[in-house]
Amino acid sequence: MALIAMILLPLLGGCAALFAARLGRNAERWLSVLVLIAGLAALVSAIVDGGGDGRWLAISRTPWAPAMGVQLLFAMDGLSAAMLAISLGLGLIAVFVSWKTQANSGLFHAALLWTVAASNGVFLTFDLLVLAFFWELMVVPSFLLIALWGHGEREAAAMKFLIFNAVAGLGLLAAVFWMAATAPVITFDAFVLAGSGIAPAAQVWLLGGFALAFIVKLAVPPFHAWLPDAHTQAPTAGSILLAGLLLKTGAYGLFRFPPLLFPDGYLVLAPWGLALGSFGALYGAVMACGQTDAKRLVAYTSVAHMSIVLMGICGGVHFALMGAAIEMVAHAFSASALFLLIGAVYDRVGTRDLRELGGLQRTAPRFAAAFALFFAAVLAMPGTANFLGEALVITGMFQVNWVFAAIALAALVVSVVYATRLLKEIVFGEPQARPITVDLSARELALVVVLGTCTIWFGLLPQLLMVPMAPAVEAAIAAIDAAR
Amino acid sequence: MLTSGLVPLAIIGLTAVLAMLLAPRFGAATVRAAAATGLVLAAIAVIARIAAPEAPAPPLFADDGLARFGTLLASLSGLAVLGFLRGHPAAKEGPALVCIVALGAAALASATHVASLFLSLEIISLALIGLFVLPLTRGALEAGYKFLLPGAAGSAALLLGAAFAYADSGRLDFTAWHGPSLLAGFATALLLVGLGFKLSLVPFHVWAPDIYDGAPPAAAAIAGSAAKAGVVIAILRIDAGLPAQPVWHMGLAALATASILLGNLAALRQPSLSRMIGYSSVAHSGYLAAMIVCGAAQAPAAILFYLAAYVPAVVAALCVAASLGTPATIASLRGLAWRRPLAGGVLALALVSLAGLPVAIGFLAKLLLLEALMRSGAWGLFGAVIIGSGLGLYVYFRFFTALFVRDDPLPAPRLRRPEHAVLLLCGAMLLILGLYPAPLLDYLALAAG
Repeated sequence: MALIAMILLPLLGGCAALFAARLGRNAERWLSVLVLIAGLAALVSAIVDGGGDGRWLAISRTPWAPAMGVQLLFAMDGLSAAMLAISLGLGLIAVFVSWKTQANSGLFHAALLWTVAASNGVFLTFDLLVLAFFWELMVVPSFLLIALWGHGEREAAAMKFLIFNAVAGLGLLAAVFWMAATAPVITFDAFVLAGSGIAPAAQVWLLGGFALAFIVKLAVPPFHAWLPDAHTQAPTAGSILLAGLLLKTGAYGLFRFPPLLFPDGYLVLAPWGLALGSFGALYGAVMACGQTDAKRLVAYTSVAHMSIVLMGICGGVHFALMGAAIEMVAHAFSASALFLLIGAVYDRVGTRDLRELGGLQRTAPRFAAAFALFFAAVLAMPGTANFLGEALVITGMFQVNWVFAAIALAALVVSVVYATRLLKEIVFGEPQARPITVDLSARELALVVVLGTCTIWFGLLPQLLMVPMAPAVEAAIAAIDAAR
Repeated sequence: MLTSGLVPLAIIGLTAVLAMLLAPRFGAATVRAAAATGLVLAAIAVIARIAAPEAPAPPLFADDGLARFGTLLASLSGLAVLGFLRGHPAAKEGPALVCIVALGAAALASATHVASLFLSLEIISLALIGLFVLPLTRGALEAGYKFLLPGAAGSAALLLGAAFAYADSGRLDFTAWHGPSLLAGFATALLLVGLGFKLSLVPFHVWAPDIYDGAPPAAAAIAGSAAKAGVVIAILRIDAGLPAQPVWHMGLAALATASILLGNLAALRQPSLSRMIGYSSVAHSGYLAAMIVCGAAQAPAAILFYLAAYVPAVVAALCVAASLGTPATIASLRGLAWRRPLAGGVLALALVSLAGLPVAIGFLAKLLLLEALMRSGAWGLFGAVIIGSGLGLYVYFRFFTALFVRDDPLPAPRLRRPEHAVLLLCGAMLLILGLYPAPLLDYLALAAG
């Protein structure tokens, strides 16, 4: 019940927010906050008392459309729980970030909550048809967020996002149906299909379909074309959800399903994934160096970091997979915080052009400190969770092939280049024509402090992440090793 | 007598007669109410017999799951269209004509013989021409002509094909096209042309967008819902009677592929809602034809589900177009969701459904479509559907975005109560069946045999 509540609460809460806006007094905002906190409460209750079976913290089955072989099969382990916490938490942050700014705020909060609900569905479901349903569902509210509350060429950016992701989602759909069509019984239950002995040659094709959907969402080059535009034009809350949440659904899908369903296909395609990831890590980092728009720059750093995650997932050894899982969590904090800060800058001076910003430490010390902290996180400074993730992935790469480790290290070096350049110009440079004189408000500061605390806390106490995620990592490793 | 499968058809026919008799003496609202009552009775008569055993081999009209589903869809579509007929200038004659179209569509879904097939198609065409031209404006007359001439060409091709098939086999039921001879192949090609006109498949589609654009929305809605469903079910029956006629299968697959691609491509830059729906109807005809031709075992159920998803979406979109009072374009739809939340919201849902995304029922319809193509290994058609879906996203989401833009407030259209009811019903179908399709799936598995 608690698992279903995590999807149903934001879904229905979104519908209620549509109408709550008429009441005034920020009713829809408080409602969203309440719904998300209730979702977090459901998450805690599922962790504490989910009635799982050792491998899973909580599991629930409900028949849905027996004629199609569809059931509501939700299962949660430490990895899902971490992703759900990020989803609900970033939802809260997105609500607080846009507390003062949005027109049509009823629909805005509905879209926000629906995005969270659909992502929660992806993080929980193990019925593949329901997975496809939530996967395609995610796109619509995010499209609205970009198309209606974005900046500049928002409609074109939203359309690009929609077409890329919805069409790639058809790859997932096709693979799911192909599996169901060839299985001995009509079912979409991932656990049943995992044991149904799909031929290795077919596994490669099926994994290709899954990977298409997941990698486009993960935005690894050359499938990233939608991301810089979508991130740049999206409103701050939209960017936070895109970078912190939607990219993670792609990473989660790659982490969860290929080893479980297609271990033989995974072994065939993993080297290609490593090659793609290493290219993407370098490409994203190099492209970030050349950006002048702060949001575009952070978007390209996301491309680089998600490529590192892809490398970790395709590494197939314990360190690499654990690193990928931690990097997913760490990137959610650092990228959301940077988008939040850039959004705050934009609200004050109406520009995101790096050449027009500078000297924050003289005019707005809180801003400067926050930027400095998260630039350090982006370049994987030891002591941040990002360092932990990247260091583990690189360690894992040394076990796989030193060439990939070298490329990942090179990408890390390039990330130091752009992060220090930003630090120099924005934080320590000369104040520009339009200096930022209004420092972070209490509300913004509180959000930054929360995200910063998470980044450093998990960086210093990695056990907090590694222990809960271990079962998911070990299950993936066991499935891969069994196929070797 | 009351247990006969013809009862619903008789009720719809009598309703049409009653509406004609009432028209000179009573007001338009009374006539509409009478027609609506009759259609409701017809729907109840179908539902009452939904689980009845099939009648054994009928001479002209079948009484089976397909026929019952087609009759139900026809009477419900007619009922919905009556709800926004008020914008139609021929308010008094309209209800009778709508009932006649519904009668033709129901008969078409039951037809098992060339005679009943042709008769049903002509009933539909003649009543539709009346609905198209009755406003007597230039645009309406143009739409009527554009419907009349291709429709006549299609009927002629169909008749000629039936004549050749009769010469070849000496039969006039749907197995007439069986023969291996050249004559039977030629007859099949002519049959395909005729049905291509009726279902607006590329290259016989040229009339469709103009009709949707020029005719009153209510007339376009009954043509795009009831009549289309009837034609699709008739083609499904004919396909079941044609074991392996290469002309038929290759030809229908080619028409389907062309319709999916060209229908979506032509809709890409359409600023007018009704014209876009016209091109989109060409594309969706292509999807339906693809399912018919792929020959998968679960295709009939998938086709019926697709119709159940497509009809409320089209009716809702055209109902909104009718309620605007001005031509519905991207510009005039801007911000409709804020001006009229019900109309804007249901139209948004209908567009999402047509694009095949969740939460709407169109997502499941697209799933079943892809599954049918995949199970039969029709990979060419499968690829066309994927490309068509990608193009369709752009087509529908241009309008979708416009609905929510908030800039210069345009005047809010006035919706009447029946229109509210139609939109609420269509919206509920699109949403509820999209989230919980199990009952509909169970029923359709039964209906498709």
